[in-house]
Amino acid sequence: MKIRLFHKFFFAFLAIGIAAVAISGLLIKREIKTDLSHRIEDEMVSGARIIALMPSGEIAGHVGELAERARARLTLIDASGRVVADSEPGGGELDNHLNRSELQEARLRGKGAAVRYSRTLKKEMLYVAVPLRDGAGTTGYVRLSRPLAEIAPAIDGMGQAVFNIVLVMVVALLLIALLFSYKMLSPIRRLAAFTGKIRTGSVSGLLRIESRDEIGELAENINGVVAVLREEIRTADEEKRKLEAVFSGMSEGVMVLDAENRIESVNRGMEEMTGRPPGDMIGRTIIEALRNVELHDALGRFREREETLCEEIGLGNDRPVMMDVTISAVRGEAAGERKTMLVFHDVTRLKRLERIRTDFVANVTHEIRTPLTAIIGFTETLQQGAFENPETARKFLRTIRENAERLNRLVDDLLTLSGLELGEAKLHPEGLRIEESIDRVLAIVEARVREKGLAIRKEISGELPLIRSDRDRLVQILLNILDNAVKFTPPGGSIAIAASPGEEDCLTVRIADTGVGIPKGEIPRLGERFYRADKTRSRDLGGTGLGLSIVKHLMKAHGGRISIDSTLGHGTTVSLYFPLYREDQDDMV
Amino acid sequence: MEEKKHTSREYERELQEIREGLLYIGALTERALERGAQALVERDSALAREIVREDEQIDRLDVDLEEKCIRLLALRQPAARDLRFITTAVKITGHLERIGDMAANIAEKVLILNELPQIKPYVDLPRMVSISRGMIRKSLDAMVQENVELAKQVREEDTIIDQLNDQVFRELLTFMMEDPRKIQVCLYVMQISKSLERIADHAEGIADMVIYMVTGKSVRHKPASVEQG
Repeated sequence: MKIRLFHKFFFAFLAIGIAAVAISGLLIKREIKTDLSHRIEDEMVSGARIIALMPSGEIAGHVGELAERARARLTLIDASGRVVADSEPGGGELDNHLNRSELQEARLRGKGAAVRYSRTLKKEMLYVAVPLRDGAGTTGYVRLSRPLAEIAPAIDGMGQAVFNIVLVMVVALLLIALLFSYKMLSPIRRLAAFTGKIRTGSVSGLLRIESRDEIGELAENINGVVAVLREEIRTADEEKRKLEAVFSGMSEGVMVLDAENRIESVNRGMEEMTGRPPGDMIGRTIIEALRNVELHDALGRFREREETLCEEIGLGNDRPVMMDVTISAVRGEAAGERKTMLVFHDVTRLKRLERIRTDFVANVTHEIRTPLTAIIGFTETLQQGAFENPETARKFLRTIRENAERLNRLVDDLLTLSGLELGEAKLHPEGLRIEESIDRVLAIVEARVREKGLAIRKEISGELPLIRSDRDRLVQILLNILDNAVKFTPPGGSIAIAASPGEEDCLTVRIADTGVGIPKGEIPRLGERFYRADKTRSRDLGGTGLGLSIVKHLMKAHGGRISIDSTLGHGTTVSLYFPLYREDQDDMV
Repeated sequence: MEEKKHTSREYERELQEIREGLLYIGALTERALERGAQALVERDSALAREIVREDEQIDRLDVDLEEKCIRLLALRQPAARDLRFITTAVKITGHLERIGDMAANIAEKVLILNELPQIKPYVDLPRMVSISRGMIRKSLDAMVQENVELAKQVREEDTIIDQLNDQVFRELLTFMMEDPRKIQVCLYVMQISKSLERIADHAEGIADMVIYMVTGKSVRHKPASVEQG
């Protein structure tokens, strides 16, 4: 059981106080008792001396009366020790008293006292004796005696008084001890309460104890410690919050596995990448949560080799994403606990760019090689003698020229494109009526449209605002799109060109065909250089594979944009958004 | 006491191994299916060959897992829930193995189709692949989460696949009637569609087993609508 400090102090004070009071009480009592005995003795001695002044015969004659006056038993003893007279009856038969100590003492010192058991009276008695003298010497002794029982009540009465005083003092001590203990312990109790609060985690407020002793010092020290602690906690909290912000805010996905390879925590990036709420992941293993074979295998390899692993892994179900996953070991809080950390970095975009680049190189080589091969082949044939036959030679030369022109077109397009990409191509914008440009373009494709048996519809709603565009470039843009529409629409199909005011200060031109359409997945790639949705067919149709790329860049340079919408097998709609012309604008690049 | 605790931990580990093994096979079949669709649409014969090769791995894992289950049954004599889980696992791995076979079948058909001219872009088949793949995923998710609702959803989705299969069949029929030269291609495409339809059936089978595993009630050979009531 916990004994409170208060009780310890209180009882210690009380014990010391009671002991001191009791000891002093006892001492006083004893002192009073001896003092009282002496006084009674003295009183009896002086009584005896007064009696001794009388002649012995007189004493013997009035022994009863004298004894009553002295309030004691009176015994008259002669020099030889024989009892001459006694106030008590039967005293005459007493034996020789000379050897009694009080008589011996009286003979030697002039008075004697003794406490003895009287066989005559069968009581504890106090005896005093004084010698009877005449001129010559001792003629006898006068002895007075009182039973001690008569003296005791007086002494006891004194004792009772002392005891009462002691009792009062003890009660007083009790109160003092109570007060003192309480007063002294109150700051300690406050200290305890305060430190207790700190232990449960609350470190607000200060300890206010205004005493200048050690307790005050202690309180001040504790305040100091608390202040330091508070600062430390604040710093730690801030650190933690910062880390948490980084952890949840970073675009990389982070996943921590515990020692049993169960997912312990994931950050928000990870949730977004997997499309699964954390509740579906935490506490499960990778294969349970993500059902990804590559990741599971990579983790297995990591566990075998125990060294940081970096791999490219496909993730996601509906929307495939490429992840650069780094698996590394982290130490847990407990000693020897091994955790695993997986960091996912989305490289889908990077991968796409990489593919565009390699595709571009492959395409460019292919596009250049095809006409070159033809040119070289036909030249060789000519050298080997085909030259002799003018008919064949003319045919061959035409083919060579066609291929050379195709090469030339390709180089032109590439130059335009790179010029646009570098921002070197200068545009000369002016206020243009879109209808004029549309008519110009329609005139260019008219022959091919008729040849293919296509129907072209022009829908222009009322008076349209001027657009801000470079005259030649505008034709180039429209021609490219219309050319595609004509190419990919099978005979008997139709094409519609519509122009209408769009939202937000722009003019929309829609070119819709009933052609083969483009698969949904391919649409985002259409602006890439040399990208062809239908790889085999479009090259046969004579395109360079750069048309849409150029349009896209031109539209951007004009401050407009392009969007493509298509349904496979039903047709494609290309929407061009041109900015409107305003007089106060300067030239643009 | 220590010994007993150790044994039960070991037992837990073995159960977990079975669970993970099952999911691993599931993930492999899902991937095979996804790649099958890719090989079909992109006419990628190398990918198709890889799928055929990978099916052997699925078969091997299936045999291993079954053996593990039987050993566990014999040595540990599990009861109640665990017993249901293990017997269910044996059944599910069987379904998954069949799905793997179907995916390999599809890949083999893709290999042949890639040698023939394509008659039209694939629209319905990729949809069927994505739905049936979703069904496998959902049925396994239902197993992990012990989620009966999700398993019931899988049962309902099977009807969509059946409808799509019918649609593909009708469409191909018109192609074949139009031009007898297209019959060969159409037949192969039809087989692929049929395989996908059966994959969906197997996914439904897995979902049924999950419902049995969680509730202890068998819903097999009962239509989804009846079960709903």
